[in-house]
Amino acid sequence: MRLRHARIELELHELSRRQGPALLLLHALGGSSADWAEAAALWAGRVYALDFCGHGRSHWVRGGVYYPELLAGDADAALAHLGTAAVAGAGVGAYVALLLAGARRDLVHAALLLPGRGLAGGGGEPDFDRPLLAAFTPDRATPLPHGSDPALRGLECDPRPTVYATRFATAARRLLLLEDSGERPPWWMAVRDTPAARAVTGDLRSGIVELAAG
Amino acid sequence: MLPPRFPGAVEPERERDVESLGTRVHVLEWGDPAAAPVVLCHGFWDHARGFATLAPLLAARYRVVAMDARGHGGSEWADVYAWPAHIHDVVMVVRSLGRPAHLVGHSMGGGHVIDTARALPAAVRKVVSIDGFGPPPLTAEEEARTPERVTDFLDQRRAAATRPDWRPYPRLDQLIERRRAQNPRLSIEWLRYFVFHAARESADGWRWKADPLLGHGCGPWRPEWLAQTFARLGAPLLAISGSEDDSWGLPETILGPRLARVQRLERATVSGAGHFVHMERPRETAQLILDYLEN
Repeated sequence: MRLRHARIELELHELSRRQGPALLLLHALGGSSADWAEAAALWAGRVYALDFCGHGRSHWVRGGVYYPELLAGDADAALAHLGTAAVAGAGVGAYVALLLAGARRDLVHAALLLPGRGLAGGGGEPDFDRPLLAAFTPDRATPLPHGSDPALRGLECDPRPTVYATRFATAARRLLLLEDSGERPPWWMAVRDTPAARAVTGDLRSGIVELAAG
Repeated sequence: MLPPRFPGAVEPERERDVESLGTRVHVLEWGDPAAAPVVLCHGFWDHARGFATLAPLLAARYRVVAMDARGHGGSEWADVYAWPAHIHDVVMVVRSLGRPAHLVGHSMGGGHVIDTARALPAAVRKVVSIDGFGPPPLTAEEEARTPERVTDFLDQRRAAATRPDWRPYPRLDQLIERRRAQNPRLSIEWLRYFVFHAARESADGWRWKADPLLGHGCGPWRPEWLAQTFARLGAPLLAISGSEDDSWGLPETILGPRLARVQRLERATVSGAGHFVHMERPRETAQLILDYLEN
């Protein structure tokens, strides 16, 4: 179905109509709703997958700049439609799920953060020169998957201080972070150490089962 | 309605558009197109006509190029606004001139010109910031409200999905009065000129030209990082302040240490002016800028 976030038109895909609580799925950078077939099959309830702006069947933004709070606005447009939901996100979608869990704690009762592309690297100190300079030297060596806006590359790296992420983690009701042997960005490690957060080891199935356990 | 006149305000000699990130940026020009260029960047919710009294005084020696920031004045509205896009716009305007330029910015525009000089040092000569040194640091209470600030942002975005434009005012005077309440130091004659060019008339009344979505903003950026930003500015900077405290500027206890990080700094104060220095005292401001650029 079509949704509206300010002037941006978005596509929200209904993946499952099973009776039960709603799950909102937020893909990684360069991803799409097609990434979620396995997760949708594991959830005993309604499942919706959003195409973030610049991705899939959603509009590219006029103006050419993407940032995580903007994507949180996309996801919030889906929440406005769904009401209360659990949220699962990968990569930049995990960061957006974190923002929503802190800023919409009345609607997001739990969030599952999954590894994926976007907001990698970074550190405890802010570095806003990097995205500023990136706007003038687009990295053509690592193209995004077909159909995504190249301007999204500003979301590859994390110039944000970790303390910003932990403010949302502290406000959240329940956060699950799926851990495997892979490397995680500094914001992820900082969020994992907050009281509302808990690491889950294993695969996607383990994460979804924990999310449903409530 | 005929455009109002104001003593010293001169109509731009040329107008044109520059394309940046898919958005049309409008520029006004005064002075000899072959002269060395000076680019003027206005503050938040303002527009390029705010330089209509300053620009002609600079145009005796320079090609003066005043740009409307995206979403403001005659520039196009975007779906979303973010700081790097504004900087990209200034860079594209400078590139359109084909040679390095001096940059002058007021308030938010002061931040734009400093970051443009950092992003593209080879294209920038000298930088002048008119009371554009950032907001004060967040208080502990504001800092603790970080998630709620994003909640406010999300609420604004939801509202904008169904109400994408300003409500109209039956009379232009009502817009002038709103601006006067915010800027009591500016004369009513100037505000009639300035607000006329900030507004558009349609069948149901007057609205601001500036995009209401410009007011939606949140994120991890913190004003205290500006000192670090200023330390990385290689270009020479003239920092102009007004002598009067009109609650828009920074106290010296915050401003002094922030500016102390600039490598090549000169400071100047215009007496009798508040935050809108160039609108309140165009002659004194122009003289300071000309002296700084010439020497």
